[in-house]
Amino acid sequence: MSSEIVEMHLKLLFDLDNLLNDIDEPKYKKIGFKVEQEEKQSLIRTRNALLKKLPRDMADVYERLKERYQRAIAPVDKGFCFGCFQRLPTELLTQTKGMITCPNCGRILYWRKK
Amino acid sequence: MNLASLLSKDRIILSLKPGKKEKVIEDLVYAIKEGTDAELIVSTLLKREELGSTGIGKGIAIPHCRSLAVDKLEIAVGRTTKPMKFNAIDKKPVSLIFLIVAPPQDPGNQYLITLGKIVQIAKVLTKKKLISKPNTPDEFITLINQVEKDLKKRN
Ligand SMILES: [Zn+2]
Repeated sequence: MSSEIVEMHLKLLFDLDNLLNDIDEPKYKKIGFKVEQEEKQSLIRTRNALLKKLPRDMADVYERLKERYQRAIAPVDKGFCFGCFQRLPTELLTQTKGMITCPNCGRILYWRKK
Repeated sequence: MNLASLLSKDRIILSLKPGKKEKVIEDLVYAIKEGTDAELIVSTLLKREELGSTGIGKGIAIPHCRSLAVDKLEIAVGRTTKPMKFNAIDKKPVSLIFLIVAPPQDPGNQYLITLGKIVQIAKVLTKKKLISKPNTPDEFITLINQVEKDLKKRN
Protein backbone atom coordinates (compact mmCIF):
# COMPACT_ATOMS: atom_id res chain seq x y z
CA MET A 1 0.00 0.00 0.00
CA SER A 2 1.34 3.46 -0.84
CA SER A 3 2.28 5.78 1.98
CA GLU A 4 -0.37 8.29 0.86
CA ILE A 5 -3.13 5.71 1.30
CA VAL A 6 -1.78 4.68 4.70
CA GLU A 7 -1.68 8.33 5.74
CA MET A 8 -5.27 8.84 4.57
CA HIS A 9 -6.45 5.78 6.52
CA LEU A 10 -4.64 6.98 9.63
CA LYS A 11 -6.13 10.48 9.39
CA LEU A 12 -9.63 9.17 8.80
CA LEU A 13 -9.25 6.77 11.72
CA PHE A 14 -8.30 9.71 13.90
CA ASP A 15 -11.26 11.80 12.68
CA LEU A 16 -13.65 8.91 13.35
CA ASP A 17 -12.26 8.39 16.85
CA ASN A 18 -12.89 12.08 17.54
CA LEU A 19 -16.40 11.65 16.20
CA LEU A 20 -16.97 8.73 18.56
CA ASN A 21 -15.84 10.89 21.47
CA ASP A 22 -18.09 13.77 20.52
CA ILE A 23 -21.30 11.79 20.18
CA ASP A 24 -20.94 10.71 23.80
CA GLU A 25 -20.54 14.29 25.05
CA PRO A 26 -23.54 15.42 27.13
CA LYS A 27 -23.20 18.85 25.49
CA TYR A 28 -23.57 17.26 22.08
CA LYS A 29 -26.72 15.41 23.04
CA LYS A 30 -28.12 18.56 24.58
CA ILE A 31 -27.87 20.36 21.23
CA GLY A 32 -30.29 17.78 19.94
CA PHE A 33 -28.14 15.37 17.96
CA LYS A 34 -28.97 11.88 19.07
CA VAL A 35 -27.08 8.86 17.81
CA GLU A 36 -28.54 5.37 18.26
CA GLN A 37 -26.44 2.54 19.69
CA GLU A 38 -26.73 0.56 16.48
CA GLU A 39 -25.20 3.36 14.41
CA LYS A 40 -22.49 3.90 16.96
CA GLN A 41 -21.58 0.21 16.84
CA SER A 42 -21.42 0.41 13.07
CA LEU A 43 -18.99 3.34 13.32
CA ILE A 44 -16.84 1.37 15.76
CA ARG A 45 -16.71 -1.48 13.22
CA THR A 46 -15.65 0.97 10.52
CA ARG A 47 -12.82 2.37 12.64
CA ASN A 48 -11.68 -1.14 13.58
CA ALA A 49 -11.58 -2.07 9.90
CA LEU A 50 -9.50 1.04 9.17
CA LEU A 51 -7.11 0.17 11.97
CA LYS A 52 -6.58 -3.29 10.43
CA LYS A 53 -5.60 -1.66 7.14
CA LEU A 54 -2.66 0.12 8.77
CA PRO A 55 0.78 -1.45 9.04
CA ARG A 56 0.84 -3.50 12.24
CA ASP A 57 3.43 -1.39 14.08
CA MET A 58 1.62 1.83 13.25
CA ALA A 59 -1.70 0.40 14.39
CA ASP A 60 -0.15 -0.74 17.68
CA VAL A 61 1.43 2.65 18.33
CA TYR A 62 -1.85 4.39 17.49
CA GLU A 63 -3.90 2.26 19.85
CA ARG A 64 -1.39 2.62 22.66
CA LEU A 65 -1.31 6.40 22.29
CA LYS A 66 -5.08 6.60 22.08
CA GLU A 67 -5.36 4.72 25.34
CA ARG A 68 -2.85 7.00 26.98
CA TYR A 69 -3.86 10.40 25.62
CA GLN A 70 -7.28 9.86 23.99
CA ARG A 71 -5.92 11.68 20.92
CA ALA A 72 -3.05 9.78 19.35
CA ILE A 73 -2.13 12.36 16.73
CA ALA A 74 -0.89 15.87 17.39
CA PRO A 75 -0.65 18.58 14.74
CA VAL A 76 2.62 20.47 14.46
CA ASP A 77 2.23 24.20 14.76
CA LYS A 78 5.11 26.68 14.40
CA GLY A 79 7.59 23.96 15.27
CA PHE A 80 5.71 22.88 18.38
CA CYS A 81 4.03 19.56 19.11
CA PHE A 82 0.40 20.49 19.70
CA GLY A 83 0.00 17.56 22.09
CA CYS A 84 2.59 18.48 24.72
CA PHE A 85 3.47 22.00 23.52
CA GLN A 86 7.18 21.26 23.45
CA ARG A 87 9.37 22.69 20.73
CA LEU A 88 10.40 19.99 18.29
CA PRO A 89 14.08 19.53 17.35
CA THR A 90 14.85 21.14 14.01
CA GLU A 91 16.16 17.95 12.43
CA LEU A 92 12.72 16.46 12.97
CA LEU A 93 11.03 19.35 11.20
CA THR A 94 12.83 18.60 7.96
CA GLN A 95 12.12 14.88 8.09
CA THR A 96 9.34 13.95 5.68
CA LYS A 97 9.32 10.19 5.35
CA GLY A 98 7.37 7.69 7.42
CA MET A 99 5.58 8.05 10.71
CA ILE A 100 7.20 10.66 12.93
CA THR A 101 6.51 10.78 16.63
CA CYS A 102 7.16 13.51 19.17
CA PRO A 103 10.39 12.78 21.08
CA ASN A 104 8.83 14.24 24.21
CA CYS A 105 5.30 12.78 24.45
CA GLY A 106 5.40 10.11 21.75
CA ARG A 107 2.32 11.29 19.86
CA ILE A 108 2.22 10.78 16.10
CA LEU A 109 2.99 14.13 14.52
CA TYR A 110 1.00 15.64 11.71
CA TRP A 111 2.06 18.55 9.52
CA ARG A 112 -0.81 20.47 8.02
CA LYS A 113 -0.53 21.62 4.45
CA LYS A 114 -0.64 25.37 4.19
CA MET B 1 -17.47 34.73 19.79
CA ASN B 2 -20.40 35.52 17.54
CA LEU B 3 -21.36 33.38 14.58
CA ALA B 4 -21.42 36.21 12.06
CA SER B 5 -17.71 36.79 12.65
CA LEU B 6 -16.98 33.19 11.69
CA LEU B 7 -18.71 33.58 8.34
CA SER B 8 -16.91 34.74 5.26
CA LYS B 9 -18.49 35.99 2.06
CA ASP B 10 -16.69 33.62 -0.27
CA ARG B 11 -18.01 30.67 1.70
CA ILE B 12 -21.66 31.63 1.47
CA ILE B 13 -23.14 30.15 -1.68
CA LEU B 14 -26.68 31.40 -2.14
CA SER B 15 -27.35 29.68 -5.45
CA LEU B 16 -26.06 26.22 -4.68
CA LYS B 17 -27.03 23.55 -7.16
CA PRO B 18 -29.18 20.91 -5.47
CA GLY B 19 -28.25 17.29 -6.04
CA LYS B 20 -27.19 14.19 -4.16
CA LYS B 21 -26.44 14.88 -0.52
CA GLU B 22 -22.86 13.60 -0.99
CA LYS B 23 -22.22 15.92 -3.91
CA VAL B 24 -23.64 18.99 -2.19
CA ILE B 25 -21.56 18.33 0.92
CA GLU B 26 -18.51 17.96 -1.29
CA ASP B 27 -19.23 21.25 -3.08
CA LEU B 28 -19.41 23.08 0.24
CA VAL B 29 -16.26 21.45 1.62
CA TYR B 30 -14.33 22.60 -1.44
CA ALA B 31 -15.25 26.16 -0.51
CA ILE B 32 -13.10 25.57 2.59
CA LYS B 33 -10.27 23.23 1.57
CA GLU B 34 -8.96 21.42 -1.45
CA GLY B 35 -7.05 18.25 -2.34
CA THR B 36 -6.57 15.47 0.19
CA ASP B 37 -7.65 17.78 3.02
CA ALA B 38 -11.05 18.20 1.36
CA GLU B 39 -11.25 14.45 0.69
CA LEU B 40 -10.65 13.68 4.34
CA ILE B 41 -13.27 16.19 5.52
CA VAL B 42 -15.86 14.84 3.06
CA SER B 43 -15.21 11.25 4.21
CA THR B 44 -15.59 12.20 7.86
CA LEU B 45 -18.73 14.28 7.26
CA LEU B 46 -20.35 11.42 5.35
CA LYS B 47 -19.51 8.99 8.16
CA ARG B 48 -21.22 11.43 10.50
CA GLU B 49 -24.29 11.45 8.24
CA GLU B 50 -24.39 7.64 8.45
CA LEU B 51 -24.97 7.98 12.18
CA GLY B 52 -28.18 9.85 11.43
CA SER B 53 -28.94 12.77 9.17
CA THR B 54 -27.90 16.23 10.32
CA GLY B 55 -31.00 17.54 8.60
CA ILE B 56 -32.56 18.98 11.75
CA GLY B 57 -35.91 19.64 10.13
CA LYS B 58 -37.83 22.48 8.52
CA GLY B 59 -35.48 22.72 5.58
CA ILE B 60 -32.17 23.08 7.41
CA ALA B 61 -29.18 20.75 7.61
CA ILE B 62 -26.02 21.17 9.66
CA PRO B 63 -23.39 18.66 8.56
CA HIS B 64 -20.49 18.81 11.01
CA CYS B 65 -17.34 17.06 12.17
CA ARG B 66 -13.91 17.52 13.62
CA SER B 67 -11.05 16.92 11.26
CA LEU B 68 -7.29 16.84 11.36
CA ALA B 69 -7.44 18.76 8.08
CA VAL B 70 -8.32 22.10 9.70
CA ASP B 71 -6.55 24.16 12.33
CA LYS B 72 -9.49 26.39 13.22
CA LEU B 73 -13.26 26.32 13.05
CA GLU B 74 -14.39 26.65 9.45
CA ILE B 75 -17.93 27.25 8.20
CA ALA B 76 -19.47 27.16 4.74
CA VAL B 77 -23.09 28.01 4.01
CA GLY B 78 -25.15 26.88 1.05
CA ARG B 79 -28.66 27.75 0.01
CA THR B 80 -29.90 25.51 -2.77
CA THR B 81 -31.85 26.90 -5.69
CA LYS B 82 -34.44 24.20 -5.06
CA PRO B 83 -35.14 22.13 -1.92
CA MET B 84 -33.28 18.82 -2.00
CA LYS B 85 -33.39 15.43 -0.28
CA PHE B 86 -31.24 15.17 2.81
CA ASN B 87 -32.98 12.35 4.72
CA ALA B 88 -33.84 14.98 7.30
CA ILE B 89 -35.44 13.90 10.55
CA ASP B 90 -38.79 15.38 9.52
CA LYS B 91 -38.41 13.83 6.03
CA LYS B 92 -38.76 17.29 4.51
CA PRO B 93 -36.38 18.54 1.81
CA VAL B 94 -33.54 20.87 2.76
CA SER B 95 -32.62 24.22 1.27
CA LEU B 96 -30.22 25.78 3.78
CA ILE B 97 -27.02 24.03 4.80
CA PHE B 98 -24.54 25.15 7.44
CA LEU B 99 -21.41 23.05 7.17
CA ILE B 100 -19.02 23.12 10.10
CA VAL B 101 -15.55 21.64 10.43
CA ALA B 102 -13.60 21.98 13.65
CA PRO B 103 -10.01 21.08 14.56
CA PRO B 104 -9.47 17.94 16.68
CA GLN B 105 -8.75 20.00 19.76
CA ASP B 106 -10.24 23.35 20.46
CA PRO B 107 -9.82 25.21 23.71
CA GLY B 108 -13.14 25.98 25.37
CA ASN B 109 -14.98 23.60 23.07
CA GLN B 110 -15.91 26.34 20.64
CA TYR B 111 -17.08 23.63 18.25
CA LEU B 112 -20.03 22.43 20.31
CA ILE B 113 -20.90 25.96 21.41
CA THR B 114 -21.01 27.13 17.79
CA LEU B 115 -22.95 24.06 16.74
CA GLY B 116 -25.56 24.78 19.41
CA LYS B 117 -25.72 28.41 18.38
CA ILE B 118 -26.30 27.54 14.73
CA VAL B 119 -29.14 25.21 15.67
CA GLN B 120 -30.75 28.06 17.65
CA ILE B 121 -30.31 30.58 14.84
CA ALA B 122 -31.53 28.10 12.24
CA LYS B 123 -34.75 27.66 14.18
CA VAL B 124 -35.36 31.41 14.15
CA LEU B 125 -34.66 31.57 10.40
CA THR B 126 -37.30 28.94 9.68
CA LYS B 127 -39.83 30.24 12.17
CA LYS B 128 -39.67 33.76 10.77
CA LYS B 129 -39.39 32.50 7.19
CA LEU B 130 -36.13 34.34 6.62
CA ILE B 131 -34.20 31.72 4.65
CA SER B 132 -35.05 33.10 1.23
CA LYS B 133 -34.64 36.77 2.26
CA PRO B 134 -30.93 37.54 1.73
CA ASN B 135 -29.90 38.20 -1.87
CA THR B 136 -26.16 38.50 -1.30
CA PRO B 137 -23.62 36.95 1.10
CA ASP B 138 -23.33 40.36 2.77
CA GLU B 139 -27.06 40.44 3.41
CA PHE B 140 -26.86 36.90 4.74
CA ILE B 141 -24.17 37.86 7.27
CA THR B 142 -26.18 40.94 8.30
CA LEU B 143 -29.24 38.77 8.83
CA ILE B 144 -27.31 36.26 10.96
CA ASN B 145 -25.89 39.13 12.98
CA GLN B 146 -29.39 40.50 13.60
CA VAL B 147 -30.87 37.14 14.59
CA GLU B 148 -27.95 36.55 16.92
CA LYS B 149 -28.42 39.94 18.60
CA ASP B 150 -32.15 39.30 19.06
CA LEU B 151 -31.41 35.92 20.62
CA LYS B 152 -28.90 37.46 23.00
CA LYS B 153 -31.47 40.05 24.12
CA ARG B 154 -33.99 37.32 24.77
CA ASN B 155 -31.61 35.20 26.86
ZN1 LIG C 1 4.61 16.06 22.02
